[in-house]
Amino acid sequence: MICSAVEPAQIDASCRLPLVVLFLSAAVWLLIGSAFALIASLKFHAPGFLADCAWLTYGRVRPAGLNCMLYGFCLPAGLGVALWLLARLGRTRLALPGLITVGALCWNLGVAAGVWGILAGAGTGFENLEMPSYAAWLMLLGYLMSVVWGALTFHQRRERQLFVSQWFLFAALFWFPWIYSTADLLLLTVRVRGMAQAVIAWWYSENLLVVWLGLVGLGAVFYFLPKLTGRDLHSRYLALLAFWMLILFGSWGGVPESAPVPAWMPVSSAIARGLGFILIVAVVLNVHGTLEGKCSRLFAHPSLRFIGFGVVAFILGGLASAASAFPEVSQITQFTWFTVAKGVLNCYGFFAMVMFGAVYYIVPRVMGTEFPSPKLACAHFWTTAAGIVLFVVPLAAGGIAQGLRLQHASLPFNDVTHGTLPFLRTSTTGDLLIALGNLMFLGNLTGLVIRFYRARAVSAWAAATVEIEPAEARP
Amino acid sequence: MNYGPLVFLAAFFALASSWCGFVLTPQLQIGHLQQTNTVGGAGVAYPIARPGLARQGLDVYRANGCAYCHSQQVGQTGSVLDIALMDAGTNQAAIIAALFKLAESATNQPSALTMLTPLQPGASNATTESILAGLPKAFFRSTTREAANAAAKTLNSTSAKAQLWVVPVGPDLTRGWGRRRTVAEDYLYDAPVMPGSQRVGPDLANVGTRLPDANWHLAHLYAPRIEAKASTMPPYRFLFEKRKLGRRPSPDALSLPGDFSPGAGYEIVPKPAAKALAAYLISLRADAPLFDAPISVPAPAGAPASTNAPAVAGATSTNAPPTNPPAK
Amino acid sequence: MNPEPQPSLPLAAEAEPQAGRTAVPVWLIVLLFLILYWGMVYFDRNGGWFNEQVYAPYRSFQEVETWQPVTGQAGLAQQGKLVYNKPTCVACHQADGKGTPGQFPSLVQSEWVQEPEPGRIIRAVLYGISGPFQFKGQNFNGAMVPWKDALTDEEIAAVLTYVRQDPEWGNKAPEVKPERVKEVREKTKGRNQPFSQEELLKVSPAD
Repeated sequence: MICSAVEPAQIDASCRLPLVVLFLSAAVWLLIGSAFALIASLKFHAPGFLADCAWLTYGRVRPAGLNCMLYGFCLPAGLGVALWLLARLGRTRLALPGLITVGALCWNLGVAAGVWGILAGAGTGFENLEMPSYAAWLMLLGYLMSVVWGALTFHQRRERQLFVSQWFLFAALFWFPWIYSTADLLLLTVRVRGMAQAVIAWWYSENLLVVWLGLVGLGAVFYFLPKLTGRDLHSRYLALLAFWMLILFGSWGGVPESAPVPAWMPVSSAIARGLGFILIVAVVLNVHGTLEGKCSRLFAHPSLRFIGFGVVAFILGGLASAASAFPEVSQITQFTWFTVAKGVLNCYGFFAMVMFGAVYYIVPRVMGTEFPSPKLACAHFWTTAAGIVLFVVPLAAGGIAQGLRLQHASLPFNDVTHGTLPFLRTSTTGDLLIALGNLMFLGNLTGLVIRFYRARAVSAWAAATVEIEPAEARP
Repeated sequence: MNYGPLVFLAAFFALASSWCGFVLTPQLQIGHLQQTNTVGGAGVAYPIARPGLARQGLDVYRANGCAYCHSQQVGQTGSVLDIALMDAGTNQAAIIAALFKLAESATNQPSALTMLTPLQPGASNATTESILAGLPKAFFRSTTREAANAAAKTLNSTSAKAQLWVVPVGPDLTRGWGRRRTVAEDYLYDAPVMPGSQRVGPDLANVGTRLPDANWHLAHLYAPRIEAKASTMPPYRFLFEKRKLGRRPSPDALSLPGDFSPGAGYEIVPKPAAKALAAYLISLRADAPLFDAPISVPAPAGAPASTNAPAVAGATSTNAPPTNPPAK
Repeated sequence: MNPEPQPSLPLAAEAEPQAGRTAVPVWLIVLLFLILYWGMVYFDRNGGWFNEQVYAPYRSFQEVETWQPVTGQAGLAQQGKLVYNKPTCVACHQADGKGTPGQFPSLVQSEWVQEPEPGRIIRAVLYGISGPFQFKGQNFNGAMVPWKDALTDEEIAAVLTYVRQDPEWGNKAPEVKPERVKEVREKTKGRNQPFSQEELLKVSPAD
């Protein structure tokens, strides 16, 4: 049912400017964020490391790194991939790319102001929402500018039959402004009283990290997996089940087990996390069916390695989350490094890797130029994969050990903390490798963009300085 | 699902349902909380807003991200009843006999009743004076009200006065991080509320009861390794000022042990932010008896059982039920 | 507009992926409902049914009430509730305090109960009431049992405090102390007769 569909090359060309801005800025923020994370990790080797500078104290540099990662990389990269996918799947050009670019720049301004604010001590104190309100509203404005035209692109689609990914991505377009504006209004602007603040902050956090990242990540996975293996997605209905499970129950899972709130809140969250198991199973069945069990298909295309890693990380993180539905498990893992490991597995291991895979596929098509070094892309994969494993596994193990020891009240607290130090120090290698991988990614992407614009400049110069035939020069 | 607006509506209703559940309902239930009265005592208002300096300290706590290493929420896994003797009465022999009888049944049936301090007839600590010293004191612990009532009745059948104390239990509480779990009322006047999600450092919900000395906190902030030899807490020296010693040392100057002292002719003076943070930390306490988190506040030693003297909200008794000594 | 650079990629047949129509396996649907059932059971047991005063580890409002400390002055009302339901007063005045019209007067929103000074009602509980009695426009002609021998001063003080202060009944009056009951008992020593309405009205509540 393709009536007057636009050529893919034209769609890609229409996406070029906004995607360059979004992806390049995302890569820069990713590197900055991993640098902050590395500084924070090094402080566990020597607590006095950079401790005399108020701007680099652990309590500021850690949220700065997290926010750079989330708001500087995850959201813009996700938005870029979503916009491109919506345009491609709708067989239509991206609507008003210039305004989307302005929105992206506004967003980046907000992120910069926010990170500056956090380091200067103006952090809000709410986890995953540390950016002060002036930055938050600026970022929301930038996002809305991009999203309105994304929705318009969706509306103007020539291909009326919706592919699976389009549900996920279209829902994601609206999800973030709703949750972000609610959280900003009720926590930063017109503050609610008492513990209600914490519940709303947990609700927002879960909606961002589980639902939004899940919607965009799964939307990308369900597109790239069939596309790059050349097969059909196994089941539309399984994807539909995954979609409903994610949006209905994903947003309820935020309240932790021992929270100082009435009992029904942590219990509801536990039940929602338990239901996340169905989401995992649906995704596993779909992926398995698409690959028809042959994991070797994952090596058909360089991007597929990233996507495959992301899917495995999603499954592991989802299983860990579903396990925390049981109070026996969550009593051990709460307040430990296990929750951090789970968060990084979801944010980095799943979402960032899927985004890397997507960017490695999209950008050459959008720019019409190949990456300067495919070997660097391969090195990026192995470095980042090793980094994530070296970060997540020690922290998860350390967290479980920490949690088990915290249950024994006779063990002095200092001993418990010291028991986690070897694991933390091992995870610094993971941080280092991840930062290195991000540097490679930025380098490759910058190289491609420079190559593109240089080729353009060269051809423009050539067109401007073409030799005029004497016959034409006659006045 | 081929229709765009249908996807939008699905997303909208899904988010609206969780919004109603976790934004609207908490606001109605705990966002509208007012001051409440403590129970089990004279019913004083709780919580009380923090004094000004402590309120500024909350800002310093937030700005420096202390919540990324310290949690401020204490959990509880259950409640037990302690059978406490308030008054030995006139017939000491009878009460001692009753105590030994209960001790025997506790040895035989540890699931119903447990002894808090071992009571063996004929043992070295079994003299009347040592047993009845320091009343009111809890002797037995029970997990069910029937067993507790039966034990109290045995003790009350002599001329003594026994009472049941509600005691919350859990790993956090045994560690000395609090006497009961934290509930929403404890955070009523905090903005922002920072319950924390990591325990790289100990929980701080009741640090004001454990460490009520501002000087300790200031020294700890300046150099955490004074107190804990290999602490992972970073030193917050930027909250302090190194000043040349004047004619007389400043009244605020920290007294630091040899390794950490600033050297001859210098003194370390806390900046206003450090003093505010210390005041905030001292103000952290969450052990007032509330309806949602019932706990007995035992009367101080020597006072008659049914006293009309108001119990100060959150006051720790000089004869708290025996627990492990509070760990840092 | 600058000319587009020559694409270095072949424009392959850019067919977008399709989704197959395999059905969701039945066992997954069954698993979904099993987890939903587990969730419902778990919520029923531990959720406190959305009550904002129920915190873990307590599982219901009743459980929180059971664990309230019953000591000290504020515990007087809770003790009083236990005394009221022993059964002592509940047999006639009912658990909700509303009594039976024509037989036993309601204690809810009763001006007798809510008098600032409890002198009259202490006498009523100690010695009982007999004879015709008018109460909120209703006529009663029963007899109230004297409790001076069955209940101690503390118990009478507790039950009167409960009746005068229970929020569910809406009565708001100061508590009654055991010493006050003792005082009244001393003052009326030797009396064996229940009070009638005229006698009760003659007594000043502050007495």
